[in-house]
Amino acid sequence: MIVQVLGLFARRLLVAIPILFVVSALVFVVLRVLPVDPAAMSMPPNATKAEIEMKRQEMGLDRPLPEQYAIWLDKTVKGDLGSSIHFRRAVSSLIAETLPATVELALLAMLIAAALGFAGGLLLFHLRGTWRGEAADLGSTVLMSAPDFLWGLLFILAFGVLWPLLPFTGRLASSFARPVHTGFLLLDTLIEGRPDMFLDVVKHMLLPATALGLAFSVPIMRVLRSSLYEIDHADYIRQARLRGVSEGRILLRHALKNAVLPTLTLMGVQFGFLFGGTLLIEVIYSYPGLGNLMVDAVRNADLPIIQAVALAYAAVVLIINMIVDGLYLVLNPRLRTV
Amino acid sequence: MTNALTRRSLLGATALGFLGVHALASKVGARAAESDSVAIGWPQDVPSWDPNQRFVPDAQPMFKMVFDQPLDQDPKLKLIPNVVKSWELAADARSLPVELRDDVVFHNGDKMTTADFRYTFFERIKAGHKVDIANSWRKVTDIEIVSPTKAVMRFDSPAPTAPQWLAFLGSYVVPKDYMEKTGVDGFREKPIGSGPYRLAEYQLNARIVLERNDTYWGPKPKMRRVTFEIIKDPSARVAATQSGEVDLTISVPVREVQRLKSEPNLAGELNPITRVILLQVRNDLGFADENVRLAAHHAIDKKALSQAFYGGAAVPLSVPATPGTAAYLDDYRFSYDPELAKQLLAKSGYSTEKPAKFTFASTNGNFPSDYDIARALVQMWKKVGIDADLEVIEYAKYFELNRGAKLPEATLYSFDNATGDPEIFAGYLLNPKMPFSAWKGMEIGQRAIDLFNVANYDERVAGYKALNKDAVESGASIPLLQSVQTLLRKKNLAYTRYENGWVRADTMAWS
Repeated sequence: MIVQVLGLFARRLLVAIPILFVVSALVFVVLRVLPVDPAAMSMPPNATKAEIEMKRQEMGLDRPLPEQYAIWLDKTVKGDLGSSIHFRRAVSSLIAETLPATVELALLAMLIAAALGFAGGLLLFHLRGTWRGEAADLGSTVLMSAPDFLWGLLFILAFGVLWPLLPFTGRLASSFARPVHTGFLLLDTLIEGRPDMFLDVVKHMLLPATALGLAFSVPIMRVLRSSLYEIDHADYIRQARLRGVSEGRILLRHALKNAVLPTLTLMGVQFGFLFGGTLLIEVIYSYPGLGNLMVDAVRNADLPIIQAVALAYAAVVLIINMIVDGLYLVLNPRLRTV
Repeated sequence: MTNALTRRSLLGATALGFLGVHALASKVGARAAESDSVAIGWPQDVPSWDPNQRFVPDAQPMFKMVFDQPLDQDPKLKLIPNVVKSWELAADARSLPVELRDDVVFHNGDKMTTADFRYTFFERIKAGHKVDIANSWRKVTDIEIVSPTKAVMRFDSPAPTAPQWLAFLGSYVVPKDYMEKTGVDGFREKPIGSGPYRLAEYQLNARIVLERNDTYWGPKPKMRRVTFEIIKDPSARVAATQSGEVDLTISVPVREVQRLKSEPNLAGELNPITRVILLQVRNDLGFADENVRLAAHHAIDKKALSQAFYGGAAVPLSVPATPGTAAYLDDYRFSYDPELAKQLLAKSGYSTEKPAKFTFASTNGNFPSDYDIARALVQMWKKVGIDADLEVIEYAKYFELNRGAKLPEATLYSFDNATGDPEIFAGYLLNPKMPFSAWKGMEIGQRAIDLFNVANYDERVAGYKALNKDAVESGASIPLLQSVQTLLRKKNLAYTRYENGWVRADTMAWS
């Protein structure tokens, strides 16, 4: 099985290279045709035209677009993503500083979405055909119809202001000195052996992650319910009932195991959207991740950051999809025989 | 035993989940303020910890805590000594002798001398460091070191605002030896200043923690620890103040200040500052006709704009300067007169049936209510016979569009001038050679250019006063309002209000 999973990863990695190439080319061209002059943006307002022109040459912006792209691609492959116009720092260091925060947030949000989705799916299935089932279905529609940033604002108002239960700014209380190991704070606090700090990080992540995960939990709920409906009429489920197995045991031991597979595929697809949702949520929650950096970059027309962040987003989504596909292979023995 | 999913088990699981979250979450809102620490909700991070690098007005109150500027300003904006204890601009404004205090030490214990001063304002620039101060100090030909505490700045042309610039954007003395040892990147990682606080912790886009510098040469701040929480969303800043996560914040919506100032523990302020909201206008296209420009100005009810968008706290302006600054004209008013506007338009053949047309640009979210003001202006103009096509631009693109002569006839603009000096108001806004000025007409423009070389202060101020009036009366400038800084704070947190909007943690104290 491990060989098959590794083989899948290798194939996916091969496919990822042209995808990233196309994404980078698209982003590069789109940013270059925008009426924004990175050379002018990188100079103070009172810079002269001559100084800006000199800067333009220094940045290689006077060269043809394909040549500019080739230079950028060559540097990117070597790990040099250029220098930020606003921060005047290496973009790679900015990405390295912010990416772990976003990945951590998105993974927790997905976990919350999955937990809510599975619980909700089981509940919807359990209440099927009753008025409670109808009400629960309506409730799930309400959950899905509000966008994540709206949930974000509502949670701040409810659990931050009116009922101050959870913090809603940053990643860690100011009373703690932030440990610096991997950038993944949950991991770093464990490396430090500080459960109190770990708990504080979780508290800081709960509201943004829930806001992010809530809307994504509903499709999971519904796909799980539909899968359970289908499986409920399968022969092996009928036979289990005839054998006198309890409904709960049938649901959790037999039906759920098979119903989970389409849900897993959906989660892989959803992750891309969820990861993109971090942009607004990070700004609302002052969460220092990639999304926050991207919003800053857009505001300052910081093209080197915009193109690098776009590439980082694409890479993370590809990696997560690859992991989900691997998981699918592990959970579904039928695929391993193909 | 059965595994059936029952209502009881479901309710039980829900209750357990709820209790779990409740146990996990402690009461964060009741963060007790320590008597010597303060948390400030700030809308923007520093661009980097090299204070000479980028001109970002919102970063100045943070830089001023860690680094020292040669000169400082008092709350009324008068220039006062700082690490430079005396200075005297030469009569021809081509040199500026300065004398440093001899008791200033950087956070690493190194003594500040004129070598550091020369390094900051001359050597870094010559060495090609990518710093914005290279532009503000481009006239410097040399800084002669007379002694460890005495130096003379020399300029290639008159620099009448050099003293003001020593207390303005980006002008912070950095330690020469330390920066040469660590390199610029190393310095940004571990910055060393000589200010009242030292940097204890920094997390990009999240938090800045400052600890009091107990060896500071000046008055010791009351707050031992200052935390800037970077909160970019205005609603989140309001919520953070309400919940007690921060003790003070700025740049929140006016309506929130009005709503929350009745809260028992909060104080809300609308403070006019040295920032003007104005229309930057061109002298060609649809605005080539002076009658149209003046009609556009007479049609604007500035008092109504202030009332509608700033609770009446923004002072209507008739000149591009704020009240209390040197070239403000106390007794001059440009009238709101829609009838006169119609008459001026009629002279040029326009009416409500046959309106004058032009394009008008505004930012959306660059300063409070900017886009709302723009929409109100369009309606005011419509009533007198002007049809303005409103378009939204990003603030960052203003300079680029202006350089390429691509700005429309009028642009709603906000211009900050912490010094209050008239050169940095009318001079920058009307000098056609400056990137801020959309006006390229030389009858007004040349007068602004000439004033940059007037060394005598009184003569300079008189020149700017006359220029302000003439620019407005010829339609070269359409000032609207004095900008307002919105501020929310805990009622028992006192701070010193500066007329330029600086919110300085070293002046804060709990009462």
